[in-house]
Amino acid sequence: MHRKYAVLITALLILTNQIFAQKITISGFIKDKSSGETLAGATVQAQNSKDLAKSNSYGFYSLSLAAGKQIIEVNADGYQEITMDLNLEKDQTLNFMLEPASETIEAVDIRAKKNDNIKKIDISTQSISGKVIKKIPAFLGEADVIKSIQLLPGVTTVGEGASGFNVRGGGIDQNLVLMDDAPVFNSAHLFGFFSIFNPDAVKDVQLVKGGIPANYGGRLSSVLDVTTKDGNNQRYQANGGVGTIFSRLTLEGPLVKNKASFLISGRRSYIDFLAKPFLTNGLEDSRFYFYDLTAKVNYATQKDKFFLSTYIGDDLFYAANAFGVKWGNSTATARWNHVYNKKWFSNVTYYYSRYRYNLEFTNGGGDLSFNWTSYIYNNSLKADFKYYQNSKNEWGFGGSSTYYTLRPGDATATNPTQGAVSFSLPNKYALENAVYITEDYNTNGRLSIRAGIRISQFLYLGKGNVYSYGQPFAEGQRRFVDSIWQAGNNEVIASYINPEPRIGFKYQLNKKESIKGGYNRMVQNLHLISNTAASVPFDVWTPSTNNIKPEIADQYTIGYFRNFRIGKQEFESSVETYYKDMLNQVDYVDGANLLLNQFLEGELINGIGRAYGLEMYIKKSTGKLNGWISYTLARSERKSPGINDNEWYASRFDRLHNLYVVAQYRFNDKWDFAANFVLSSGTPTTFYTGQYTVQGYTAPDAGTNARNNVRNPAYHRLDLAATYTRAKKGKWESNWVFSVYNAYSRRNPFSIYFDTDYQNTGINKAIQFSVIGSIVPAVSYNFKWN
Amino acid sequence: MKSFNFTQFHHKMNRVKSLFFASAIIVFGGFFTSCEDVIEVNVEQKQVKLVVDAFVNTMDTVQSIRLTQSIPYFATPGTEPAVKDATVLIADTSNFKVFPFVHTQDGIYQWKPNKNTGDTFVVGRNYALLIIQGGDTFVSVSRLNPTVSKFDSLRTVPQEGNGPPFAGPGRYLEMFADDLPGYGNYYWIKTFRNDTFLNKTTELTISQDVGNNGGPAEGGLFIYPIRFQGVNQFTRPYRDGEKVRVEIHSISMETFYWFQLLLNESNNGGLFSTPPVNIRSNIVSLNRNSQRGLAGFFCMSDVVHKSMIIRE
Repeated sequence: MHRKYAVLITALLILTNQIFAQKITISGFIKDKSSGETLAGATVQAQNSKDLAKSNSYGFYSLSLAAGKQIIEVNADGYQEITMDLNLEKDQTLNFMLEPASETIEAVDIRAKKNDNIKKIDISTQSISGKVIKKIPAFLGEADVIKSIQLLPGVTTVGEGASGFNVRGGGIDQNLVLMDDAPVFNSAHLFGFFSIFNPDAVKDVQLVKGGIPANYGGRLSSVLDVTTKDGNNQRYQANGGVGTIFSRLTLEGPLVKNKASFLISGRRSYIDFLAKPFLTNGLEDSRFYFYDLTAKVNYATQKDKFFLSTYIGDDLFYAANAFGVKWGNSTATARWNHVYNKKWFSNVTYYYSRYRYNLEFTNGGGDLSFNWTSYIYNNSLKADFKYYQNSKNEWGFGGSSTYYTLRPGDATATNPTQGAVSFSLPNKYALENAVYITEDYNTNGRLSIRAGIRISQFLYLGKGNVYSYGQPFAEGQRRFVDSIWQAGNNEVIASYINPEPRIGFKYQLNKKESIKGGYNRMVQNLHLISNTAASVPFDVWTPSTNNIKPEIADQYTIGYFRNFRIGKQEFESSVETYYKDMLNQVDYVDGANLLLNQFLEGELINGIGRAYGLEMYIKKSTGKLNGWISYTLARSERKSPGINDNEWYASRFDRLHNLYVVAQYRFNDKWDFAANFVLSSGTPTTFYTGQYTVQGYTAPDAGTNARNNVRNPAYHRLDLAATYTRAKKGKWESNWVFSVYNAYSRRNPFSIYFDTDYQNTGINKAIQFSVIGSIVPAVSYNFKWN
Repeated sequence: MKSFNFTQFHHKMNRVKSLFFASAIIVFGGFFTSCEDVIEVNVEQKQVKLVVDAFVNTMDTVQSIRLTQSIPYFATPGTEPAVKDATVLIADTSNFKVFPFVHTQDGIYQWKPNKNTGDTFVVGRNYALLIIQGGDTFVSVSRLNPTVSKFDSLRTVPQEGNGPPFAGPGRYLEMFADDLPGYGNYYWIKTFRNDTFLNKTTELTISQDVGNNGGPAEGGLFIYPIRFQGVNQFTRPYRDGEKVRVEIHSISMETFYWFQLLLNESNNGGLFSTPPVNIRSNIVSLNRNSQRGLAGFFCMSDVVHKSMIIRE
């Protein structure tokens, strides 16, 4: 069966190769001239041809052209264009070194001019470079990757203090967050006020919301692909900043000029030092901080490039004599890029990643305590191949294999009479394999098609107790174990194979307009178990098992893209719509016990979901004033047996209207100003409506059809920032960022909850909780030495 | 017997979650102010429910079942209108012997056991509750499970403890009782201080077996959090001369989960709250199409108790 396909594909390759044989291929890497960093998403094209090659995430491109005289143009966002006259007689390796565009007042976004967004097939995809992220006003003046993407159409958040982000009606666990190819399980520092990506080390960020290519898999809603810098291979460079809450430092430089470089980048918060004088009354031993460290080295030869990178980060909150919580990711990645020839490129990645959290609390005096630790480990090997067959056909294929070990909980309880009592939930093991093939087919005319398929296999493995559960008393109620068996080492307990077709198209109406659309099926086998309003770092991840089915989503998307000009000003605009159907969504029985529960599966219900929306986006990237406006009209709903009387209800992160305005104004060489404005419909919430008394206890009551029956008030916020850039002195560049978050001191409700006045009347009251209830000013100082 | 208390753990976790965030906020106090505003919320009571409070036990005292109506969430508790026009009875399903509960006042229906005539409940039997009211018939069944066979003693323990859970140094209560052998025994431990039942949901103590949620334990002493934390009011220690009484009621598994949900829902506040749900009753209408809402619970309990006067 498989062999038959292989033969077929090979035959197809040979055939198409023959037809287009008279072409010349140029290939190579596109890099930043000043740092030697490779540039992803840069384009190479001949002036008089429609053919266009895009560099891949390692900066490699390959373009086939007619022989003879050609004028080649090379472009990348934020770089000056290169134009080159070539007389093409035979295949050539051409590496392009692009000069960063100077940030003069007239600085022009070259990509906009070239209408790349119209020409590329990428559907529902948005890129932001590290440079742009740094300009967006941010909380406490600290640029942040996740906070920046939350300003893009289709992306929302539950509110301040909520980890993660929601894409097109999906949960926070439904985003595949990759840092240099390694997945990250929790991208939040400090409950999501910051993300774990150090903006100084970030090269670019790509968010794919729809038409997800077949090389990505494992999550339903989106891919956030964060690429960190390789390190300057030309000269030593340092940059960093001193902020209100933490400081950053990044060092990079060549190990062997042009060949090898390193980058090391770290951040640490210092609120604990600042708060020290205020911690008295037994709180002296309190500790709270976060840090992260990214380190990379790479070595390149003519045909090969090797990368080693690691990330370590932790958040720690330890309140003396009360509780402590610690969580963090660490990853180690080794990658090998190889250019076989002008048309073949490969990347092999091995990564190890670990997510860990620890929670402890003491009940006074230290003789009563709980301590709980949980881990997720994964080891993965993947290989990706690119074959640039000719100007019309570009192939990608590869596979991956990941072994997961989940340690859901090792707990110890201590009390004065029994001492320490330990308890562990058994480990869970799983193996996830995937193979994919994808092709970009560009007709010479207007149509491009990207078609691919990914086949994923998920094996839930022993050793461990395997439970099967009986029927619940009623729909939506807890299920109890009715039989148990013991699986041996590596015994397959449950196996799921899912084909995931992906298809996308671009139809270019003219130079300035195109229509793009696509369909993708995504499958997810790791599920975040959380039924609280905001996700917490110690929510549990669980694999698909014999009782938990893989989540499956089908998404259809179509959009219209248009670039236009008003006077001298260039605009990019788009309107996209999507519809998403989701199967096997995790929902929870009433009063579910999700923590440290070996019968967790009995607490879960299998629901369905749907999400649909319209996204409008207009961006101006030229002139003194630039930025974007994004508006999303969206719905996200869930339906689960026994919940909400079996009817559809709005998901926790459903927001109907979302308006984001991002504006940046370059006043002169010294001063830049920026503003964000966010306006979103309130998230839904459930209110109790009644109460009654039984045995002296007062019980709340929600009535019928009650899930998410009320809307929180709308969320809106304005942030401002001013950047003062000092004239460069020798090798030293610096700027001051003055920022104001929540400029008009809006008290945005995060949640409304209820409390009972037990001491006196027993009357219930509603409390609106705003995470940020005031204006938050901040100053930070950033520097660069090179 | 070493064991791990899950009920306590989950309960604690909810509190920790809010604490966790609160402390983060404190940490940031210098940078911004988070705030909590008490707001006026207009919620319409969606459904007025018939509330059945039917916890009946084997004690040789007058047994009561109370019928009321649910009231709006923001109304004052205790103002629930009484339902006085119902027919209420309990029947022994093994011999169909009927125990009629007669309305006395304020929706309270009573029946008095009589040892001499054999009008008593028998452990191990199933009992049915029948309520006829407003054209509807409601029924439920509860098994009368045995309670602990060995309630050894109560004692007070001096604690130097300062800070939670202790409200300063003083005398705190500890009870010694053995869980029945085998799995799946459920208890509700009621503490009365000077004849006042400690009825806040924060003072509600239930236990599955020794208190370890079905973990390995074949009988034995209740674990520390149940036998100590479960019988104290940590707002104030016991003083000399105070009277204390502890009752251990056997309950059914359904009742255990009902209480657990009650605990969940009444302490379900703050940032990490879970979506409010209804605490499902075990009493149903015989008319499947009935649109009437019903809340409350029917549970038959066997009881042992101990009392003591606190002496320094």
